[in-house]
Amino acid sequence: MTPNPSLSAAHLIPFIEQIVKAPKRIFNMKKLLALPLFAAGILSVTVAHAQVIVIANPAIKTSDVSKADLHEVFSGSASSFKEGGHVTPILLKSGTANDEFLAAYIGKSDSAFRASWRSLVFSGQATMPKTLDTDAAVVDYVAHTPGAVAYISKSAPHEGVKVLAVH
Amino acid sequence: MKRVTISALIALAASVSLSSAPHALAQDLDSLNLQFHGFATQSFVKTENNNWNTLGTNGGSAAWTEAVINFSSTPEPKLRIAFQGRYFLLGTIGNSISLDWATADYKVNEKFGFRVGKVKTPAGMLNEEQDIDPAEQWILMPQGVYSIASRNSTLSHYGGVVYGTQAIGENGGKLQYRTYAGERVINGNDGLYQALRDRGFTLPSGSSGPMYGGMINYFTPLKGWMLGGSMDSEHTFGAINSATNAGFFEPGHFYQPYLYSRYDHNKLSFGGEYTRQALVKVLAFNGVPPSTSYKDQRSFYGYGIYHVTNKLTGGLYYSSTIDKKQKPSAAKYQKDWALSVRYDLNSFLYVKGEEHIMDGTYLGYSSSNNASGLKPNDKMTMLKMGVSF
Repeated sequence: MTPNPSLSAAHLIPFIEQIVKAPKRIFNMKKLLALPLFAAGILSVTVAHAQVIVIANPAIKTSDVSKADLHEVFSGSASSFKEGGHVTPILLKSGTANDEFLAAYIGKSDSAFRASWRSLVFSGQATMPKTLDTDAAVVDYVAHTPGAVAYISKSAPHEGVKVLAVH
Repeated sequence: MKRVTISALIALAASVSLSSAPHALAQDLDSLNLQFHGFATQSFVKTENNNWNTLGTNGGSAAWTEAVINFSSTPEPKLRIAFQGRYFLLGTIGNSISLDWATADYKVNEKFGFRVGKVKTPAGMLNEEQDIDPAEQWILMPQGVYSIASRNSTLSHYGGVVYGTQAIGENGGKLQYRTYAGERVINGNDGLYQALRDRGFTLPSGSSGPMYGGMINYFTPLKGWMLGGSMDSEHTFGAINSATNAGFFEPGHFYQPYLYSRYDHNKLSFGGEYTRQALVKVLAFNGVPPSTSYKDQRSFYGYGIYHVTNKLTGGLYYSSTIDKKQKPSAAKYQKDWALSVRYDLNSFLYVKGEEHIMDGTYLGYSSSNNASGLKPNDKMTMLKMGVSF
C-alpha cells in the first residue's frame, strides 16, 4: 500500500470538521464507517499486490479471506479467520513478495512489522511467527502443517496448498 | 502464593516437555517451536539543575542499562510457555537480574484464553509494554503514569489473566477484555521505596499483598481508533526497619482507574491517558504510635508521533501530575514537555534522542543525591542506543 505523498492539511480539514461539528453523529455507525472510506479516498491509496498470493494448508475450510482477517492474523491480534478454526501465520524472510504483502495487507515496513511482533513477544502475548527463506520452503511447510497460512510470489509453484481469494 | 504458581508453572512446563520429548527427539526440536529473543539498551542522561532519580545526571550519567532475554515454546498451537529475564540498572536501583514474567498461556479461541504464572499486569494502555524499549518511541515514558523507577515491580504479578476479544456485529468494531487477580510483590530495592530509603528506612523483604483488576478496550469501526479503561486494586504491606527500630509499612488499599484513547492513521499516531491513585499510607514502629500520610496523585499525558520515513520518527508529549494532598510547592506537581526523535538504523539497531523541559519536582528525584535541595524546574537531555533480535 503506497500512500500518495500529495496529502496536505487542506485535505484533512473536511475530515476534521466531520468529527468536531458532529459529535453525536460520530456514533452513527453508517457515518462512522464512511469516515475511513473518506480518509482512504483523500489519500488516493494505490494498492499494488498483484504479484503476491495468499496460500493455506488444504485442511483450512475457507477458500477466501477478508483483508481485515489477514491483517488481524498477521499482526498477532487474532489466531483464526471468521470462517474456520485456528490458523498460524508463516512469514517470508525478505524479498519483493514479502514487502508487497506487508505494504498491501499490513500497512507496515518490514522492520516496523517485525518490531511490532517483538513487542508482542516481549510482553508475553505471542510467539514470533515462523520465518522461512524461500517461496518453496513456505509452500512445503504450509502444505504439511495444519492451520498454516502464508504468502508467496504469484509466479512461484504452489502444488499441495490452497490459494485463498482475498476480498 | 508466588511459590505455588511458579512451581505449578515449572511442573506444567516439565510435563509438556516430557510428553513432547519422544516426538521432539524422534523428529526435531522444530516441532516445539523453541525461540529466544532479546534486547539491550544503554542510555545517557544529562540534566541542568537536579540529579534525576539516583543517577548523577548533573555531570552526565550512563548508569541506565537494561538487557532482556526471552525464551518461548509452542508445543501445541493453543499452548505457549515462555519466560523472560532482565538485567536492570538505574543509578543505585537494581543492578541485578530478575524474572520479568514466566507464563503458560492457553488460548481456547478468540473469545477466551488464560495465562498463569508470573504474568504481565494489564493495567492502563501501556503497562504491559512500557518496558519494551524497542517498541516505544520514548526514552522516558510519561512519569506520572509509567514511572521508570518503580516500573519493574508493577509490570507483572503472580497469579493469572483471563483474556478475549468479541466482535460487535459485522461492522461495530470489537471489544477486548482482560481480567486478572493474584499477588503483587514489590522488591525492597525497588524505586517505589526510594523516598523511604532516603529517610534511612529499609524494607528487608519488600512488600506484597493481593491485587486484582480488569480492562476493556474498544476498537471502534473507525480503523485505528481505540478507547479503553481499566481498574487496578492493590493492598500490599511489608516489614520496615529503621536504624534503631522495626515495624511495618502499609501503602494502603487503593483502586486505580485508567482512561485512555489512541488513534493511529498512516504515519500519524496520537493519544492520551489519565489515571488517579489515592491512598493512605501507614508507617508503624514498635512502641510508637503509627503515622499516616495521604496521597491523591492525578496524572495525564497527551502525545503525537509522526513517522517521517520508515526509519525516522518524531514525537512530542506533554504530561502533568499533581498530588492534591501535598501543600503548595514545587514538590506538589510536575509538568513535562518531551520532544523525541528515533532513528532505526536497521531491523536490529536503533538510536533515540529526547529533550525534556520539566516544571515541578514531584516525580523522579531522590534526596540522596540532591543534598542541597531541588530547584523547581529542570531541563534533561537523554540519549539511548538499543539492539533487539
